[in-house]
Amino acid sequence: MSSEMTTQPQYYHDEIVKRLVQFSVAWAVLAMAAGVFVAAELLWPTLDMGQPWLSFGRLRPLHTNGIIFGFGVSALMATAFYSVQRTSHVPLFAPKLAWFLCYAWQLLVLSGGLSLLAGMNTTKEYAELEWPFDIAIALLWVSFGIVFFGTISRRKIRPIYISNWFYGALIIVIAMLHIVNNLELPVTWTKSYSLYAGAQDAIVQWWYGHNAVGFLLTGGFLGMLYYFLPKHAGRPIWSYKLSVVAFWAFTYSYIWAGPHHLHYNAIPEWVQSLGMVMSLVLLAPSWATLINGVMTVSSAWEKLKTDPALKFIVLSLAFYGLATFEGPMMAIRSVNVVSHFTDWTIGHVHSGALGWNAMITYGTFYYLMPRLVGTELYSKRLANVHFWLALAGTMLYIIAMWAAGVSQGLLWLSLDETGELAFGFRDIMSSMAPYYGLRLLAGLIFLGGTLLMAYNFYMTTRSRKTVKVEPPVVDPAFGVV
Amino acid sequence: MNALKLHKKLEENNALLIFGILLVSSLGGLVQVLPSVYQESLRTPEANTRPYSALELAGRDIYISEGCSTCHSQQIRSLVAEVERYGPYSRAGEFVYDRPFLWGSKRTGPDLHRVGGKYSDDWHRIHLVDPRSVVPTSIMPGYPWLAEKDLRSDDIQAKLRGLRSLGHPYSDEEIENAPAQLEGRKQIDALIAYLQMLGTGFVEPESGAGDSSE
Amino acid sequence: MEEKISRYLLFRTLYEPKITFEVLAETDPSAWRVFSSYSVWLLLLPPLFSWIGAYNFGWRLGASEPLVLTPATLTLISIAYFLTLLFGFYSTAVISRWMASTYGASSSFGRHVALITIVGQPLALASVAHLFPNVFFNVVVMIPVMIWSMYLLYTGIPVALQTPPERGMLMASSLVGWLLVAAVSLLGLTMGLWAAGFGPALGV
Repeated sequence: MSSEMTTQPQYYHDEIVKRLVQFSVAWAVLAMAAGVFVAAELLWPTLDMGQPWLSFGRLRPLHTNGIIFGFGVSALMATAFYSVQRTSHVPLFAPKLAWFLCYAWQLLVLSGGLSLLAGMNTTKEYAELEWPFDIAIALLWVSFGIVFFGTISRRKIRPIYISNWFYGALIIVIAMLHIVNNLELPVTWTKSYSLYAGAQDAIVQWWYGHNAVGFLLTGGFLGMLYYFLPKHAGRPIWSYKLSVVAFWAFTYSYIWAGPHHLHYNAIPEWVQSLGMVMSLVLLAPSWATLINGVMTVSSAWEKLKTDPALKFIVLSLAFYGLATFEGPMMAIRSVNVVSHFTDWTIGHVHSGALGWNAMITYGTFYYLMPRLVGTELYSKRLANVHFWLALAGTMLYIIAMWAAGVSQGLLWLSLDETGELAFGFRDIMSSMAPYYGLRLLAGLIFLGGTLLMAYNFYMTTRSRKTVKVEPPVVDPAFGVV
Repeated sequence: MNALKLHKKLEENNALLIFGILLVSSLGGLVQVLPSVYQESLRTPEANTRPYSALELAGRDIYISEGCSTCHSQQIRSLVAEVERYGPYSRAGEFVYDRPFLWGSKRTGPDLHRVGGKYSDDWHRIHLVDPRSVVPTSIMPGYPWLAEKDLRSDDIQAKLRGLRSLGHPYSDEEIENAPAQLEGRKQIDALIAYLQMLGTGFVEPESGAGDSSE
Repeated sequence: MEEKISRYLLFRTLYEPKITFEVLAETDPSAWRVFSSYSVWLLLLPPLFSWIGAYNFGWRLGASEPLVLTPATLTLISIAYFLTLLFGFYSTAVISRWMASTYGASSSFGRHVALITIVGQPLALASVAHLFPNVFFNVVVMIPVMIWSMYLLYTGIPVALQTPPERGMLMASSLVGWLLVAAVSLLGLTMGLWAAGFGPALGV
């Protein structure tokens, strides 16, 4: 190994980045198609044709797991590997392990998805996969940590760049959450019982569930933002000090917000109140990052002329602002009393998932893919069309779900002059159908845009090889580790 | 040393950074989650709350496997309108034998926490196979396969033993007789048995003054 | 020139938005003049239409019989509606002017007021849909109108505020971000008020 390092040039391991991006896009299409299908089932429940594997209850976790673990994690691994190499100025540590991780992870998501269709389900949200998969996830996640932190330990630049703190937090915190929440007693090969029961299980689940969103869907993608936005914009992050404060405040406060999923539920009131207060506190670090992002991109406006992908990043920041404002607001008890159990929660999730996660990933992929194969994007025009479709789909989704959610929530609580319930449950839910129709349309539009992107990437990378890039020589002034 | 200096130290040391992140992120969980392990009120069963019988447990596991929690909650909030619509609000002590909890996070269909005894077995039988035959505007999917598929009886003893090791009081006799309870039944029978006992573990307080908030 | 902007040209945006923005770029209208002679009348339309529609037809939520409220309640609702629109309009213009320096745009407050008025005008006019107070009907009407308003925002800012197209795009996106936050805050605030008792009877 050491003789190789002195005689042969070292290259960044970018082939694996390209592969992970391809897998991520494939999962985006599949999992969003599943989402469109379940949205249609809410309008036409007989779409499942009496088949258990098409049933809503089994397909819904397929959609959520496919998006989070398929689309999301593949994108995070791809961008983490790309950026950690370049911020450390060394190729990936343990590349063979990284390749194993890449393919094993896809196999895990695929087989996990099939197991959900077969009815292997713990029913704990975003942790529905049963115990064999939980063990596999833990092992693969440790591999992710080894490759990532191993690369950092080999770095040639003394300070660890900020995007790596966020990816690092992603790895460490998700490991902690996954292991603790999935502690279960297997009773058969396909079934286990949670170590926790009832109210205690609820508290643990939402400590996990909220922070899966926090550290995977928010934290990890902030790592993406902090590396790719400056690269894209050709400018450094606007304020280093702000990013430091934002990171630590974020890592500290997000964890406490879980109980806002359990307002008025059978858990101690002090836990609910604490969750609410910390959710409001969380607004500050979230928006500190937002300001950093907005000010960074504002100074790089000339790039918008030639770069359609930067538009995705700009709008993703707007939706990040919306989602991180809406979240704390919905955590307030008097708002939550109306929103809990309604489609407003679904709308909030998708303003984040479509507006923030998908858009920043798409913008980053549009930047990354052509560079990985050393060419221009096949069609800027298609990328522009995609942008407008993504924006339209997101806005339509949000508005439809706001209208549906607020209506449901209020109607469920409405009393008439005699203090009796004013509306029947069945009537209320029947009136939701038009909004579900709008939402289906929104999903189709968003999926359509995603398909355009998949085609664009296929044409860009077709019969092209990944470019070999050598790590540049480091100025000794930056201090070799 | 001031905060920025501390950060700079962590920023240049991989191991310290990892440790720092782990420390900072674990605090919230320690404060919010750990006490629930020791809190008696969360572990003491309510009045008539008992462990699930073999048939009910099999039914509950079907409820879980089919993802019923995706659309149905089992948590009546301490709100006037909810108590009017569904019955007494849910107490923590009713869920001590629920592994995992099934409170749900979305109501596409009504809350089911106190559905036990509200409808007849026959109503459930028809409704589960084709919801629209009893509720024309329903968007619930049908579950015709539950009426066809036989109930598995070969894993029930392992399940009961597993739960017993987690603290559920099952006697040796109950575990011995469990497969017999399931033999010859369809999956739908188990699910209905489960649905019919939901919410029956709570007894309305004698005073009749209603439920005071905790 | 100012008179033209206030009365005649603003109406022209309905069929010739580009020219109106170009004319706006060459003027520095008085914010108060624009507001008092044009904006405030547009802001009055939604509360007015909603009063008339709710009084004559009752609010239809899809779930059952139309909800009929007393004229006194309807008046209170319309006043609150107007004040909310007023706050939204004014705060958006102020924030727009506050952002101007970051994006190299004109900081003439009158121009910002005029621009926000032009952008919001289609929505104000489309509030005629409130005459039939069915929630879904209003949602379906307002969505395409909102798309048109956003189009006016994105095309209007660079021209009227005299900044390069890319900086204009960024500024428009930041304003959209603000509007999203304002909209959701309105939702939250309303829910909070209703849950606290300032609204229809809720069993909380």
